[in-house]
Amino acid sequence: MSFEVLGGNLLGTIPFGDIVLYLTPFNLFMFVVLLIFTFLIAVSKTETQVEASLVKLENTNKNVGKKEFHQRRFLAVICGIASAGAMITGDLFDFTLFMALVGILNIGIVSAVRQVSVLNSAFHYGLIAMMCSLPLFGGAAIILAATGTLSLDILSTMHTTPMIIFGALLMLIGVIGESGVAPFFATKAEMFRTPGSPFIIIIHLSSLFIIIRAVEIFLLVLM
Amino acid sequence: MRVARLWNKLANPKNIPRLFAFVLGVILVVGFLVPFDLNIDQIYIRSAPQAQVDAGIAIAPYDRGGEVLKEPGISMAQYPENAPELGMVNSYMSPLALWVSSVSPYFGTTIYSSPGGLIDEILYYTRGFDTILESSILMMAFIIASWLAVNYTMNRKNDKKEIRSDMKMAIKDSNKVASEVKLRDIKARNKQMKRDN
Repeated sequence: MSFEVLGGNLLGTIPFGDIVLYLTPFNLFMFVVLLIFTFLIAVSKTETQVEASLVKLENTNKNVGKKEFHQRRFLAVICGIASAGAMITGDLFDFTLFMALVGILNIGIVSAVRQVSVLNSAFHYGLIAMMCSLPLFGGAAIILAATGTLSLDILSTMHTTPMIIFGALLMLIGVIGESGVAPFFATKAEMFRTPGSPFIIIIHLSSLFIIIRAVEIFLLVLM
Repeated sequence: MRVARLWNKLANPKNIPRLFAFVLGVILVVGFLVPFDLNIDQIYIRSAPQAQVDAGIAIAPYDRGGEVLKEPGISMAQYPENAPELGMVNSYMSPLALWVSSVSPYFGTTIYSSPGGLIDEILYYTRGFDTILESSILMMAFIIASWLAVNYTMNRKNDKKEIRSDMKMAIKDSNKVASEVKLRDIKARNKQMKRDN
């Protein structure tokens, strides 16, 4: 299946040597939506969680400190840009690199939280992210060995062999683990249980968009 | 086991890396059964194994021909129209590398034989965007680690109050963990007792 079938007319390309970014209406839409979200997140302030205090008749406010706020905003903006880049990239290995970047930023956004349960689940997510680098890059390498190229445009014209399917399967398990889709959702879901809402949202949003893009890439490679 | 209980187990972050590692292991084992077919028509080409060694080239297996800035060597690009100067620095080596390769016939097999020009061609010319991304992954990791190190371990002279409240929170949390561990301990001991009797 070619770019045109899945994403509509090719509006243009941005060439960086071998890595060519493709602009089709589908990819461009996801790219722009993510950039808009990133902008909204960059200009917004964090929420304050209000919890009922035990024993006393008052509420406890959970705020995000100023230093922590700056750090999280920076990482959230980079995460948004990285996932936006993954939307338009036309190279398989480039996509896996964007995925790895998003994974490490997800841990970074919650790393400054002082809640043991949140840090604990972030640690377990980190373990998965580390394991994921093997299937992600290994899958891309196997597809490179089986086809001799990494460009999605050329991969979409090749017919599939069992080895390409296996490479795609490896990449799929990598993407699933890194973006925390069922049945591996628990670590990421627990990471959200902390104040600092708009920045936390980008963790969810980036994996959502990247899964959609991954499905498109698998269709390009396998169909 | 009922499905509901399985789902409950999946909701515990502790079990997820184990499950993931298991699934990954199964898929890798499946990989042994997949027929191996290597496409010879590779974009990032190399000569056949041992061919350059048998020919007696000192920089084997990294010889890609060409002359620096005069004649292009054998590098390939996916989109040659985006890389008009391809192959021009293929054969570049530092003066030290040139000297060692003139002295030793095994230069290509040593640790300091990084094929300078070739790496430049692929990493910085045809696939430069990948290199930018790779180094930004590293940079982000260092930013996160150094921010945590500076703010939560080194530079804490002025926030004694915060340390005290953090301490309280940590004690509360660790108490919770300890009680969980204790409960599990009792459970395990009971199980053991039952088995012994």
